[in-house]
Amino acid sequence: MTSPDPTASAQDPFLSLVETARFQRGRRIPIPEFAYPEGVKIAVNFTLDFDAMLLRRLLNEPWGQKAKGEFGGRVGVWRIMEMFDAEDVKVTLFTPGRICELYPQALKDAVANGHELADHMWEHEVYADPVVEDAHLTRTLAALSAVQGKPITGTRSSHTPALLKSKGVVYNSFTSASDMPFYELDSNGQNPILQLPFHYALDDAMYFSFGWLDTPNDAQRVMDVDEVFEIWWSAFLQQYKQGGYVNFLLHPFVSGHAMRVDMIQRLIQRMKTLPGVWFPTCDELAQHILMHHPLAEAE
Amino acid sequence: MPWKDFYTTSDEIGMRDDAVSWPSGQHMALGLTVNLNPAGAGKGITAKDLAYPTWHYGLSEGLDRFLDLFKELNIKATFAAPAVIVESYRDIIDRILDDGHEIAAQGLYGEDPSLLAAGQEAEHMDRATAILTNAIGAAPKGWFALSRPDDRAATGCATDDTIALLRARGYSYFGNGLADDAPYYWVSDVAKAETLLALPYYYHFDDTFFLMFPREGTGLERPQALLNNWRAEFRAQYRRGRYFNMCVSPARSGWGHRFENLAAILRDAMAHPGVWAATGSEIADHWHKAHTAEQALKLAPSIWQDYEDSLS
Repeated sequence: MTSPDPTASAQDPFLSLVETARFQRGRRIPIPEFAYPEGVKIAVNFTLDFDAMLLRRLLNEPWGQKAKGEFGGRVGVWRIMEMFDAEDVKVTLFTPGRICELYPQALKDAVANGHELADHMWEHEVYADPVVEDAHLTRTLAALSAVQGKPITGTRSSHTPALLKSKGVVYNSFTSASDMPFYELDSNGQNPILQLPFHYALDDAMYFSFGWLDTPNDAQRVMDVDEVFEIWWSAFLQQYKQGGYVNFLLHPFVSGHAMRVDMIQRLIQRMKTLPGVWFPTCDELAQHILMHHPLAEAE
Repeated sequence: MPWKDFYTTSDEIGMRDDAVSWPSGQHMALGLTVNLNPAGAGKGITAKDLAYPTWHYGLSEGLDRFLDLFKELNIKATFAAPAVIVESYRDIIDRILDDGHEIAAQGLYGEDPSLLAAGQEAEHMDRATAILTNAIGAAPKGWFALSRPDDRAATGCATDDTIALLRARGYSYFGNGLADDAPYYWVSDVAKAETLLALPYYYHFDDTFFLMFPREGTGLERPQALLNNWRAEFRAQYRRGRYFNMCVSPARSGWGHRFENLAAILRDAMAHPGVWAATGSEIADHWHKAHTAEQALKLAPSIWQDYEDSLS
């Protein structure tokens, strides 16, 4: 009598889960001997998800909620961009296509001051229908590149990697699977795309936006700027010491409030007291990596 | 979408810091809202809310402290009160008015108008306005819709109709403006160029969300975070010469160490030169003169295109 294979059963999902686990592990390809340009010890990306009220509209929420997002378009984005310009920090605005119709002047000014526009979906949602997905991405890239005067190279979205690549998008910033930038394969193990990872602990909405992602009232997020300053400084310093990378995810409707603009300015000024801190746009960083650390041909 | 109907309430670019002006000699405005709504949920005040011990604490010891402090610092505040509260405590309302503060409306029962049956919002507004007019001796100028602790949003509630209904009833301002941190015009009808002034509100400066939130006994007590927010925002807005709204309730901030925090921020703020701590209607009167809607509001024409595959 042979003992049954403890891992095998026709009915249960054990083997397929093992297979999935091994496949998922292989989708993330680290970059060996990663190096920044000469003299750079860490890259700090400040990224702005310029959603304004689009998600609130998508969920049909009441006017107070939409007005909270509207703050980002009519006040917050101007104020935070002025601060970045005063600090000579270049940033990337991950921008839904619809924002080109709602707040065109803010985008034009950002581009004129040397900042980058990147895709953040059409109306802040990626739809399952591939025809709609293609139409939305195409329309968003056209609208943003018309403002930018050159092609859009990045996204923060769950858009299909093959579709992104076919439209000239070379990086995504939509994962926390590594400290450092890496290449990610799609769900078929193909279409590698550069990922510039962010982390929810570096996302302003996690700390400051009431009801974010449908959190219940007793899990409300209304922290103060001093506490978050300490968290973000610690996160930066830990990466600085190992020559790492940080990508802050800010929303103009959240971080554009006066007290937070001041806090982020204080954070930047403190970072600048250390040597070798680089504040590129995501595209600048991506071009450096694609040129000096392309994915090996064998992949 | 004809204009930006489902998306925005005002123009594309808010007034910049250097365009904001206050009465002569004043550098910024401080709008202090005192929330007199004991309701816990959107349906509004219940008999149970009115029996709540700390509500009574607020109306006695809490309110005494508030009024003494405001008098000491020469702060004029705006008390946002549901009509049922105004009617029930006429002596308290008189005492607040005698000190030079404003009584503004906050619903009939301190309720969320979006939960009312169709047509009921206007009726509640009419009744509330009549009750306040009778108690104050003049029509109320301001209307507030502050969130209750169990509401799913912290922004307060305005329905599609609220602003137009307030305008039609002669209100001068709406107290829950989230789209700016200076007063701004909320557009109720683009074609007719109808607007109502909105005074800024932001829940990070409202004690509701920090002091035993969402409710006493189980909620979190975070007075230091609230004080830190008040201080950081006051400092930032003072530098910009803009506006700062705080929202406090005597049932919450009237108590113990919390009151010491409130006294500390207000004493610190009022020690700065040129802080105009005025009522909502005084601020609205100034704004209507200094920054008329015709001059301040710059509505860009809609360039929106509708597509079959997207929301309008």
